[in-house]
Amino acid sequence: MTTTLTGRAAAPGAAVAPVFVLRTDVPASPIPERRRGATDAEVARLRSALDAARSQLAELATKVAEEAGQSEAEIFEAHAEFTADPELANLAADAIEDGASAERAATSAFDTFRDLLSASSSEYLAARAADLDDVRDRVVAILQGRTTIVSAPEERSVIVARELTPSQTASLPKALMAALVTEMGSPTSHAAILARSLGIPAIVGCEDLLETVEDGMHVAVDGRSGELLLDPDEQQQADIAARIEEEEARQRELDKLKDQPGATADGHRVELAANLVSPEDLAPALASGAEGSGLVRTEFLFQERRSEPSVDDQVGFYTQVLEAFPGQRVVFRTMDVGADKPLPFVERDAEENPALGLRGIRLHLDRPELFRTQLRALLRARAAVAGTDAGRLAIMFPLIAKVSEVLAARSHLEEVAAEEGVDLDDLEVGVMIEVPSAALSAQQLAQHVDFFSIGTNDLLQYLFAVDRLQGGVADIADPFEPAVLRLIGEIIAAGHAHGAWVGVCGETASDPLIAAALVGLGADELSMTRAAIPEVKDALSQLTLAECQEAVQQALAAGDDAEGIRAQLAAAFTGSRGA
Amino acid sequence: MAQRTVALPNPSGLHARPAKVFASAAAESGAKVTVSKGEREVNAASVLSILTLDCHQGDEITISVDGEDAEATLDHLVGLIEGGLGEETA
Repeated sequence: MTTTLTGRAAAPGAAVAPVFVLRTDVPASPIPERRRGATDAEVARLRSALDAARSQLAELATKVAEEAGQSEAEIFEAHAEFTADPELANLAADAIEDGASAERAATSAFDTFRDLLSASSSEYLAARAADLDDVRDRVVAILQGRTTIVSAPEERSVIVARELTPSQTASLPKALMAALVTEMGSPTSHAAILARSLGIPAIVGCEDLLETVEDGMHVAVDGRSGELLLDPDEQQQADIAARIEEEEARQRELDKLKDQPGATADGHRVELAANLVSPEDLAPALASGAEGSGLVRTEFLFQERRSEPSVDDQVGFYTQVLEAFPGQRVVFRTMDVGADKPLPFVERDAEENPALGLRGIRLHLDRPELFRTQLRALLRARAAVAGTDAGRLAIMFPLIAKVSEVLAARSHLEEVAAEEGVDLDDLEVGVMIEVPSAALSAQQLAQHVDFFSIGTNDLLQYLFAVDRLQGGVADIADPFEPAVLRLIGEIIAAGHAHGAWVGVCGETASDPLIAAALVGLGADELSMTRAAIPEVKDALSQLTLAECQEAVQQALAAGDDAEGIRAQLAAAFTGSRGA
Repeated sequence: MAQRTVALPNPSGLHARPAKVFASAAAESGAKVTVSKGEREVNAASVLSILTLDCHQGDEITISVDGEDAEATLDHLVGLIEGGLGEETA
C-alpha cells in the first residue's frame, strides 16, 4: 500500500529512487581510552580495522566511478589511501605501545594529521583535513563493531535528513543526489536554496519523515507539490516518469528564451539576474540566461576556509565572476557571517540568538580588518577588469538597520579606495533591505546609496518574528501576505524618489506569480536562483507593465490575507495571459 | 646517501593523486626515502606526511635516499617528479 507524506515544495522536479537517511544526530558511543589486551593483539586489531576501512572505501570508489564518474570517485580513492598510510599506522602503533586502546590510538593519529593539514592556508588541504575526520569516524566505527556511519550514499538516492547544513549538502556528491527531503526547514532554508541551484528536486518541512521512511525504501519525490510517495506502485511510477518527461519538454521550450533580456510584454525592462554562491554556479547561471548577478554571496568564499583568504585569493574569485558576465552588473554582497554562519578563523562568543546577533554589517564594523581586506580585494578586482568588457562591479552591505551603519561602511570604503589610489566614481554602492527598521527608514537610506536590494528571506523572518528553519511556524511568513507586498511597494517608492534603483534578491523573486507582482510594485531588477530565471522570464514576457500594476493594486485592495492575494493575482495573471 | 633538490612542476601542487604516485614509488624502492621542504623532512612513503608539506608549483623539494643503489633510486624518483607524477605539467 502506498502512503504519502506531504511537506513543502522547495525545489521543482521529480525523482524516483531509494532512500538514504543521513544521520547526523546519533551520537557515537564513547571510545575506551586504554587497551585491555596485549600490545601486539591491539595493534593487529587496529590494522585489521584500517584494512577493512580501506576495502570499504575502495569498493565505494569503484561504485561511484561506475555510477557517477571518475571525478566523483577520486575523493573516496584518496580516503582509501589515507587508511594505508605508513606514518599514520606508526603513530597509532606507538600510542598503543604506550597503553592506548586501538580506538584512541586511531583517533589521535588521524587528529594529528588533521591538525597539521588544517594549519595550512590552502583550501585544498583544509578540505583534506575534513576528509580525515570522515575516515577516522569510519575506522572507529569498525573498531566498535558499528556498521552504520555518516557517509555518502553508495547509489543515487533520495537524501533524507532531519535538517541539512549548507556544507553537508555541498559535500554530498551531486551525482548521487536524486532529491533532498528534510523534516525541518522551509523553502528559504539553505538546503532548499542549494537544491534549487543544483537543479535537484526538494521537499522540506516534511513531518514524521524520519519515523516513516528507512534506508533503501523506494520513494517518489514531487518537488512541485511537495508530495513524497512511499513505495509507489507501477502506475504511480509511470505517472511520475511522465511528469519528468513533461517538465523536460517544458525546459527545452524555456531554453529558447535564454538570450532574450527580461522584459514585460510591452517592453518594460526588468533585469533578471542570478544569485551566486560559488564559482561552480557561474556556468549554470549563464546557461539559464542570467543577466549578471544581483547577489554574490561572498561569505561562502570564507566559510570553507580555516584561515582568512588572502586579498589575492579574493581578487581571483571576484575577477572570475566579473569576467563571466560581460557588460552586465554584478552585485557583491560583503560577507554576511555571524554566529549563525560562523567563520573558523574568527574567534567569537556563542550567541543565544544568532539571527539577531553580531553579524553582517555589525561584524564588519566590529572587526573592520576583515571588512577592509574584502573591500580592498573588491576594488582591486574592479581595477583589474577596468577597460575590458567584463561585468560592472557593485558593492552591497548586508543587514543594515540604520543610516549610521551605511555612513560608517562608506567611510571604510572611501579610506580603502584612497589607500589603493582609486576613485569611487561610477561605483554603485547599495544596501540590503532586510531589517524592518531599514525598510521603515528607506526614505533616509536612499539618500546615501545607489540602490536597494530587498532581501526577502531575512525580511520575512524579521517582519513576522518567525524562524525560517522552524517547520511549525515557517508558514506564517508568507510572501503573499499583504504586509509584505505593501512594505516592498513602499521601499521601492522610497528608493525611486531619491534616484536609487531597487531590486529584490530573496528567494521570493523566483516564484513567477510574485515576480510579476514585484514588477507591478516597481522592482527594477529581480535576482533569484538561476534555475527560476527561465520561468520568470517567460511569465513576465506575457504580461504588460500595466497589467502587473493593476493586478497587484487590486489584489492589495481586495485581499486580506495571503490566500486572498494569491488567488487574486493568479486570476488576474491567468486572465491576462489568456487574452 | 644520495640527495637532490627539484622544483615541483605540478600546476596544482603535490595534492593527493600525485603524492600517491610518488609515495608508492618511494615505498616500492625498498630504500629509506625522505622528502623535505624548508625545515621539515618527512617519510616519502606516507601520502599524508607529503600532504602536510603543502607543496605548490615551483616549490623546491629535496629528495634523500638511503639504501642500496641509492643513486639509481634517486634518479628514478626525480625522473617521476620531473615527469609530473602522472599529471600534465606543460
